[in-house]
Amino acid sequence: MLFALIVLPIVAGFALFALPKTDTRACKAIGVAVALATIAMTLAARNSEQSVRWLSRPFTAAFHVGDSGIGFWIALLLTLCTLCAILASNVPRLRTFIAMLLWLEGTMLGVFLARDLVLFALFWDLMLIPVFLTLVNWGEHPATAWRYFLYNFAGGLTLLLATAAYGILAGTTDVIGASGPHVVGGWVPWIFAGFAFAFLVKTPVFPFHTWMPITYRDTPPPMVAVVGAVQSKAGLYGLIVVAMALLPDYLHAYANVFIVLGVISMLYGAFVALVQSDVKRIVAYSSLSHLGLIVVAIATFNAVALQGAVLYIIAHGLFTAAIFLTLGYVEEREETRSLVRLGGLGAKNPRMAGALCIAALAALGLPGLAGFAGELIIISGIFQSGLIWVSIVALIPIVLAAAYMLRLYQGVMNGPEVADLPERRDLTWIEGLAVAPLIAALVAVGVAPAAILSFDTSAYNVTVPALHTAQVESK
Amino acid sequence: MIHHVMGVNGFYPLLMTLWLLPLAGAVLCWTFGPQLKQLAGWLGAATLGTSFVLTLLSWSAATQNSGGALGAHQSLLSWIPGFDFGLLLDPLSLIWTFIITGVGFLIHFYSIGYMHGDKAFARFFAYMNFFVFAMLTLVLSDNFVGLLVGWGLVGLASYFLIGFWFERPSAVAAARKAFVINVVGDVAIMFAIFVIFTKVGALGFGDVFANASQLGDWVFVVCVGLFIGAAAKSAQLPLHTWLPDAMEGPTPVSALIHAATMVTAGVYLIARCAPLWSVSSDAQMLVGTIGALTALVGAILGTAQWDIKRILAYSTMSQIGYMIMGVGVGAFEGGVAHFFTHAFFKAQLFLGSGLIIHALANEQDVRRMGGLMKKMPFAFVAMLTGVLAICGIPGFSGAFSKDAVIYGALAHGHPWLYAIGLITAGITAYYMFRMIFLTFFGSYRGDVDPSELGIRHPELAGTPAHDEHEPHEHDHAPAWIMAVPVGLLIVPTVFAGWLMFGEHSWWSQFFSAQFAPEHTVATPVSDVMTTVFAVAAVLAGFAIAYLRYGAPAAMEHAIERLRTETVRMPGALANALYFDAALDALFVRTSQLLGTLFGRLIDPLVIDGGVREVALSARWLGTLVRSFQTGLVRAYALILVIGVACFVAYYAIAGGVH
Repeated sequence: MLFALIVLPIVAGFALFALPKTDTRACKAIGVAVALATIAMTLAARNSEQSVRWLSRPFTAAFHVGDSGIGFWIALLLTLCTLCAILASNVPRLRTFIAMLLWLEGTMLGVFLARDLVLFALFWDLMLIPVFLTLVNWGEHPATAWRYFLYNFAGGLTLLLATAAYGILAGTTDVIGASGPHVVGGWVPWIFAGFAFAFLVKTPVFPFHTWMPITYRDTPPPMVAVVGAVQSKAGLYGLIVVAMALLPDYLHAYANVFIVLGVISMLYGAFVALVQSDVKRIVAYSSLSHLGLIVVAIATFNAVALQGAVLYIIAHGLFTAAIFLTLGYVEEREETRSLVRLGGLGAKNPRMAGALCIAALAALGLPGLAGFAGELIIISGIFQSGLIWVSIVALIPIVLAAAYMLRLYQGVMNGPEVADLPERRDLTWIEGLAVAPLIAALVAVGVAPAAILSFDTSAYNVTVPALHTAQVESK
Repeated sequence: MIHHVMGVNGFYPLLMTLWLLPLAGAVLCWTFGPQLKQLAGWLGAATLGTSFVLTLLSWSAATQNSGGALGAHQSLLSWIPGFDFGLLLDPLSLIWTFIITGVGFLIHFYSIGYMHGDKAFARFFAYMNFFVFAMLTLVLSDNFVGLLVGWGLVGLASYFLIGFWFERPSAVAAARKAFVINVVGDVAIMFAIFVIFTKVGALGFGDVFANASQLGDWVFVVCVGLFIGAAAKSAQLPLHTWLPDAMEGPTPVSALIHAATMVTAGVYLIARCAPLWSVSSDAQMLVGTIGALTALVGAILGTAQWDIKRILAYSTMSQIGYMIMGVGVGAFEGGVAHFFTHAFFKAQLFLGSGLIIHALANEQDVRRMGGLMKKMPFAFVAMLTGVLAICGIPGFSGAFSKDAVIYGALAHGHPWLYAIGLITAGITAYYMFRMIFLTFFGSYRGDVDPSELGIRHPELAGTPAHDEHEPHEHDHAPAWIMAVPVGLLIVPTVFAGWLMFGEHSWWSQFFSAQFAPEHTVATPVSDVMTTVFAVAAVLAGFAIAYLRYGAPAAMEHAIERLRTETVRMPGALANALYFDAALDALFVRTSQLLGTLFGRLIDPLVIDGGVREVALSARWLGTLVRSFQTGLVRAYALILVIGVACFVAYYAIAGGVH
């Protein structure tokens, strides 16, 4: 089942080319069918695993896939975002584009379901290819594709090297989702650095972030919805299942570096987002800010912060995808992304305004929606771990998020109607259908986040606060 | 771990229904707005009317007292493992629920007339009902997180309703400002929650208050965090600047959200957390002082306004200052009493001003009013009773509660706050009667050229000359729809205070089990003398207002005098003591500057520039990149293979490592 889950979208992507190029409806229908099937298969595959022995020398490795506890939720997020993205797709050369989305889905499912480090690193590199090809084919500036390539393949390379070195030292790479064997030796700091570089570039955090705003700007909205929502989480997922679980001593030793980078990203991203006029760049920098908080949460090694981090990974994915898709609709109609030109769309497009509004509110942490639960639990964990000043500073980006998200929403939807914008058609039912599941999930996760918090934190070497332990025991 | 629950556990279907009905109303109005048309208003009002009746029916459940568990507690769901969300209806939340649903019902009813003909009529009632649901969530939650959820949602409803006419840039800006300032308060409450969660390990009110001693010295930090939240929501210094701007919303919104209910949430929060405040004298000192200063500053700024709604907005700020001072110093009963009476008389004043604004086709500038007593005698009576109540004329509702707050400050050992309270009472009488004289006395000035009155920019001075959103001239709802709620409000505006009269008043009986006995000190003057002082201050304020605006000599040259006053208005008053400018320079501009600096300078020049340099100077990288262009996947797979081969080779040479 799990192998089939990963292979299905990849094969389906190739199979699309058997269809005539012009039959975009069939392409889209098949894409939707495959995405629905992957959602169902992901749900069915919870807590299951599958393994086939692959290498025994120089170290043991296996085609081992399964749910690491956290990976399941991100995989579910991925399949949902892919479905929404395919539904929302409306670009030239649609057949190839949907194939790209399916390849991206398959390779990323590999990343989040891999239980073996070599497999993880392999899929990590493969998942960059569909984005790169999309940037080359649909992007506005070829330079962006190369920037994306330079940063991410550099990260991919260090990941691969670190994986191989880890395998040789530990004797096995079949370790994801558990605490692996203790590795020692002069090479370990370098292995840790290799992993850390790959993960920090992918997330990204300051100062490795400059590939990200332009990539988000130039990628077509359905693709960037998946990239911004899910691919960015690969780095954070890696930090949790590799750095926290396998090399905790080093993450501990360099925790301050991660916390400082996370805090800088948090503030830097939020301030820059305040003054951008390109709506996609606002979301890109807000992503830098939000994901910086998760990096801090991970580096605290606190059980509550880790639970919050996983919850926020999902919440951030949901609202980022919803915002990018809605902004895609805006751009498609009005042929601009500039807040200077946009305005007043809400009067004639209530459905579009409603979707963007709820997504933006979730992004700014409105209590009751998914983002709030994540932020509250994360910062609560940071405070519990004793980093009181960090927890106070972490509140500043929340205030700034309210300012830039409302500026974004109001700048597009409110104010007097702008006369020279080309078109003001509200969402079609299929466009609405593409964002509706994301909006529904934002509300559902906000009201009842408990399910996502229920994974086992014991593999990640976290400190469980004393009071919390007492409470869980009394239950 | 023992769970301390406030309230008697049980199954209370009435409580759940009265909480959820407004949400259902909001969803219905939102979903079926186009089909419902004018019925949306009646639907919205009916849900609130039903909720109000259910509140009355829940009275005995809310006041039941069984072995120290006061009120009714209904468990609902587990939000995150270990923390349950439930509803708590005890005397404190009952009083708020009573006002929210009762006054809320009257204001919804009034809105059917006021909003008649607006193109987004159903949307208005959807937002209003949603607000009521959010506010009920705030006051009925049995824990801090649920309270914060309600706290955030009322902020959202307020945002939607301030920006209801979202084509208007000023309304859009005001809505955003209100929301962002309130988020400052939200995160402060979040911080208080972190401290409570870490030190006490619980978030339910019962658990937290029973184990409050575990907070130790942190109790002051918790109180400060909660108070910053309260200050943002309740327009206390220096976070008050959003409230006057919030008057961009339709007048019923100002009455319900920005006068009677939402802005008093800070008072509720402090009264709810009375067990924390009681043990921190520093917090009492801080909150009492900020409350008193807010009362004073609000009143001073109220004297300098020309927009009738802004006069009332500053008076709201000032009156909430009284309430915060009361609950801050520990006079919880008095502070809550002032919330109760204020809800009636301020709703009365706003709805009364709405009658005027409605009749004058959206004129809000008192300089362009005058002489309306004959034309609108009903509005005059409504406004006058409201003014007599807010000034604290003995017998009217405001007198009982305000004097209780002022005397409470002295009884809790704060003579300076007592003095500020009395001075503020005098200023209140001055600016309120200024409004009455300018609006209802003299002769009508609406047909005078605005420039003769010193109005340079009519569109900036609260005079939205011709508003296309409210085509009232052609299409009026029957007048009784707006008159009936105003008429009904006159009753509690005048009489509600008598509930608080006497030593063993109904009010103190009602709260006897809610608040611990207050620790008072011996006072040099009695409460009766306090009332005498207050009346003296009010009379002085009234006399000045009469001489400046009401005396025959002043009436005769009203136009010239108003022009002089407008032109010679001191800069500090005209600019609301520069609070806006200071906050703008300190926070808004600084943030934008940092953003621009980072985005324009650091991003492209420092970081990006460095990367580009490396990329360009490394020629071999260019060659590598070109080789990828020919066959990206193939080349990459090759690297993969080479990489693996390297490690195999390493293994072969090293002979295996385990």
